Amino acid sequence: MKNTLKQVFHSGKFIFGFVIFVFILLMCIFYPIFVAKDPLKMIGSGNFFPPGTYVSQQEVVDSNSIYKLNIDTSASRFQMALSVENRAAMQEWLIKYGGIAEEDIDVTDAEGLAKLWISNYSAEKNGKMTSAKRKAYKRLDEAVQKAMKDSPLYLAEEGEDGSLQQIKKIGGSDFVNTKTLGSTETFLLGTDNFGRDVLTELVAATKTSLRIGLIAGLIATAIGLLLGLLAGYMGGTPDNLIMFVTNLFTVIPSFIILILISYSVGDAARGAMTVAVIIGITAWPWTCRSVRSQVISLRNRDHVNLSKLSGHSMMRIIFSDILPYIMSYVVMAMILQISSGILAEAQLSIIGLGPSTSTTATLGLMMNWAMTYSAHLNGSWWAFFPVVLVIALISFSLNLMNTGLDQVFNPTLRD
Amino acid sequence: MKGMKKYYGQKILWYLLTLVCAVILNFALPRMMPGNPVSAIAARSLGGNESATTIQKVYDDYAEKFGVNKPMWEQFLIWAKNALRGDFGVSFSQYPRPVSDIIASAVWWTVALQLPAILIGWILGNLLGAVAAYLRGVFDKAILPLFLFISNIPAFGMAVVLLWVFGIQLKIAPTSGGYGFDMIPNMSWTFVKSVIAHYQLPFWSIVLITIGGQAIGMRSMSIYELNADYVKYSRFLGIRDSKIVGYVFHNAMLPQITGLALSLGTMIGGALVAEIIFSYPGLGTTILAATTGQDYPLLSACTLIITIMVLIANLVVELLYGVIDPRVKAAQQD
Amino acid sequence: MGKVMLEVKNLKTKYVTRFHEDVFAVDGVSLKIEEGRSLGIAGESGCGKSTLALSLMGYYFAPLHYLSGDIIVDGVNIAGMKPDEVRRKVLGQEIAYIPQAAMNALNPTMKINDFVNDVMYAHGSKMKKSEIREMAEARFNELGLPPEVLDKHAVELSGGMKQRTVIAISTILSPKVLIADEPSSALDVSSQKLVIRMMRQLMQKGYIKSMIFITHELPLLYNVTDDIAVMYAGQFVEQGTANEMVFDPVHPYAKGLMGSILVPEAGTREVKLTAIPGTPPNLKHPPEGCRFADRCPYAVPTCRSLAPEMKTFSGNREYRCLFSVKKLREVYSDGTGRRSGEKPAGIDELIADQ
Repeated sequence: MKNTLKQVFHSGKFIFGFVIFVFILLMCIFYPIFVAKDPLKMIGSGNFFPPGTYVSQQEVVDSNSIYKLNIDTSASRFQMALSVENRAAMQEWLIKYGGIAEEDIDVTDAEGLAKLWISNYSAEKNGKMTSAKRKAYKRLDEAVQKAMKDSPLYLAEEGEDGSLQQIKKIGGSDFVNTKTLGSTETFLLGTDNFGRDVLTELVAATKTSLRIGLIAGLIATAIGLLLGLLAGYMGGTPDNLIMFVTNLFTVIPSFIILILISYSVGDAARGAMTVAVIIGITAWPWTCRSVRSQVISLRNRDHVNLSKLSGHSMMRIIFSDILPYIMSYVVMAMILQISSGILAEAQLSIIGLGPSTSTTATLGLMMNWAMTYSAHLNGSWWAFFPVVLVIALISFSLNLMNTGLDQVFNPTLRD
Repeated sequence: MKGMKKYYGQKILWYLLTLVCAVILNFALPRMMPGNPVSAIAARSLGGNESATTIQKVYDDYAEKFGVNKPMWEQFLIWAKNALRGDFGVSFSQYPRPVSDIIASAVWWTVALQLPAILIGWILGNLLGAVAAYLRGVFDKAILPLFLFISNIPAFGMAVVLLWVFGIQLKIAPTSGGYGFDMIPNMSWTFVKSVIAHYQLPFWSIVLITIGGQAIGMRSMSIYELNADYVKYSRFLGIRDSKIVGYVFHNAMLPQITGLALSLGTMIGGALVAEIIFSYPGLGTTILAATTGQDYPLLSACTLIITIMVLIANLVVELLYGVIDPRVKAAQQD
Repeated sequence: MGKVMLEVKNLKTKYVTRFHEDVFAVDGVSLKIEEGRSLGIAGESGCGKSTLALSLMGYYFAPLHYLSGDIIVDGVNIAGMKPDEVRRKVLGQEIAYIPQAAMNALNPTMKINDFVNDVMYAHGSKMKKSEIREMAEARFNELGLPPEVLDKHAVELSGGMKQRTVIAISTILSPKVLIADEPSSALDVSSQKLVIRMMRQLMQKGYIKSMIFITHELPLLYNVTDDIAVMYAGQFVEQGTANEMVFDPVHPYAKGLMGSILVPEAGTREVKLTAIPGTPPNLKHPPEGCRFADRCPYAVPTCRSLAPEMKTFSGNREYRCLFSVKKLREVYSDGTGRRSGEKPAGIDELIADQ
């Protein structure tokens, strides 16, 4: 046993997969300890806030500890003032009416572009164009002019007599230390369609999905192992019967069966664990098939025959003479079942047959929510890409471990 | 030869039996759902403020129409008889559109998308796997982990990533639907062009996924064959290496065909979900509509059609395989 | 004395394991076979006899590597030839090979006839397909194989039939030397007989001119081959005619190995079967002295530091031991079977007496 483990940990593939998987697992265990947030709490009102640190605008303005920093803020000011559309419009005008060659305009350099604009733009140069367009260019010019000027902002409030009274002047080089601000919130992966922190939600979802995969894998392996042992060892009618059902389910796509059963259970009863059980009871035929063929190849080995001749009971023969020989195989089969269980949950959720719960998130449900709210169409990559990556990494690591094990236990497949 | 005939006879009989089981499952399972979709439709057609008797009357009308007031076995016989004629009843969610109508417009999108994509992915994957096994070295070392990773990305994940990169970021492909949303299907050149443009992303996402899995399978199969005794023997008989490589890949390819048959169900399942990401007008999207609309006639018709397609594909592969691989032929004649 | 068909001089080859370790499995083998004779090579598994079989072909590819030595086939040294030249001119035509696992030696998805065609054309045959077919049918007939076999796939043939088909295909170009690596060990007794009969036929009809037969089943060698060489740890330790080797082995290892043979002759019942204790040395790092010293019951300290050379005695016989033949025979008749470490008085003199 020790020797086998040593061999297993000599396989580069296994170690690589193992490390990824353990990392994901540790993340699921330790993240909630350090970040004790409710993963499904709707923090943001509005959907898909991009990743970043959010600070209270009022606190920034109110902050009394102002630091003067000698940093040129004009570049980022231009960056913020000139949107991609504005820059395209400026470029168009400069080429068409300003007479500037296209290669002399660099739209990525906002400040340079603005200077070029200021020195070239004049309303007279506008040729024939609609008045709407003329006005748009005028607005654009004003925006550029404003960004060029480094004027301070004034904060004012209405006095009793209705006149505005300046209460604060904010200069271009005034900075606030975020540590002095009371309310900052960092969303490393932004927020989702319900305004929930994607990272915290993702960790919770990964945990649930792993649990679903594990339960589904355990059930599928248990059923598959039991029936495979019976069919392989007993032969005859039980074998024919079990094989008929197994073959039936290999030809009828298991995903279809999964859809049908999930649908028939109904929304109300479909919690995360129910889904895991459904996946488990539809996934066993493949394991059963492989276990059966392994058992058949073992059935007539000398040590099994010896056991039979010694009058050992069937249970004893199965447990002491057959099971130990196929155990490594069963473990590998279960690893694959876990990974396909996680995938099955995700696929079911996307077509709307996943766990119907509002209290837990799963990787599939996160995907489903992101798709329902068109995250993929409005560019909110943080809502779906991390989910896809986590599913792929879990499946990749499990399969790597499986390949590593396979190479240790099946020497013909080596190298 | 007699053995062969018996073998094929048994095979076809077995497939028919499987079909019957599939039909029963498709009929029975969705109808076991708690809740009553008919009453939901009845309520929807009413509007709310009617008296209890009116509701009951309308409900009875619909129950009569959908046949849900008869015993289960009678419903099944009627349903099976109609299904044989291609009549799957009326859709609940898109009432009064007949289910067969919805299926007929969706099924060709799915077939035209998935069949070429899976076949091309299979061929490309096998080629790459064979080359990786033969060349080994750097090519193999670089390509294997890459494909191992790709094959572990779920189909919907690949779909959404491709869509985001090529559709949203690079804007070189349309993001959803089977053709431009402003078009009416016809045989004009612009329409065909739009269909082809919309075809790209779903197609390549399925191809890429298929390549990954197949390349890995073919690689290990080829390595196994390259180490086979006949390779060494042929070499020591003075046969050219190029010829031996031909033997090896021929032999490694054949089990890959069974592999294709066995994984077809899984692949189609994944591809159906990928369709949803692209709102492709195929069966995947239809299933989504059926589950959200609690439309079990539509759902069971969709799943039945998919089952039948997979059954046919499996049967074709199995029959074909027996003809081209003498190893299987020998086993069949036993 | 017949014409020399194959002469091997001090051949050294190695193979590389998948952990990139060198294994010197053939380490200085010399042998000579004349026309019409057969040589049996015996040894435990792992002694390098299968590697020797492959090394004799003169066609090296990973993990097998040629190091030094000559392989002279009918007067031509093939050890220095280019691989493609060896493939075209030597393999199958000059030296043919029957593999250990003939069960899987044929491509399962190919018809035997197609494979015969490939073999013929690989050596630049100008014959038409129909002519090859005719020739193959005639040859199969003569060797007692039904010609219908040609239309079958390997999977459709029984084990014995497959093995005989492999032999027929291997010898279809009438090679000068046939190297058979355990051709019958996986077969049942009656198939074994047919295979042996077929090999004899091949010799009698002149389809092969000489033969090397490698096996771990000693009784078979005594019945099949003219000469026997015993191999241990990559080297021959003794060589002689079959009779001499079985009834009068000289080297302690050969003595031990032959002790496990049951020769169906008078007095056999009284011969006690002796197993040789211990395991062969690791060929990744061959020992400095005599390779058998660790297991030899008669070894003295000098054996562990001084490697013995092959020595000739009584005409054609050769052996590899520091002891003289006379002293070895004395020790054997003594019958006490001393263990290593117990040094009997005056045993160092044995080494000097040569």
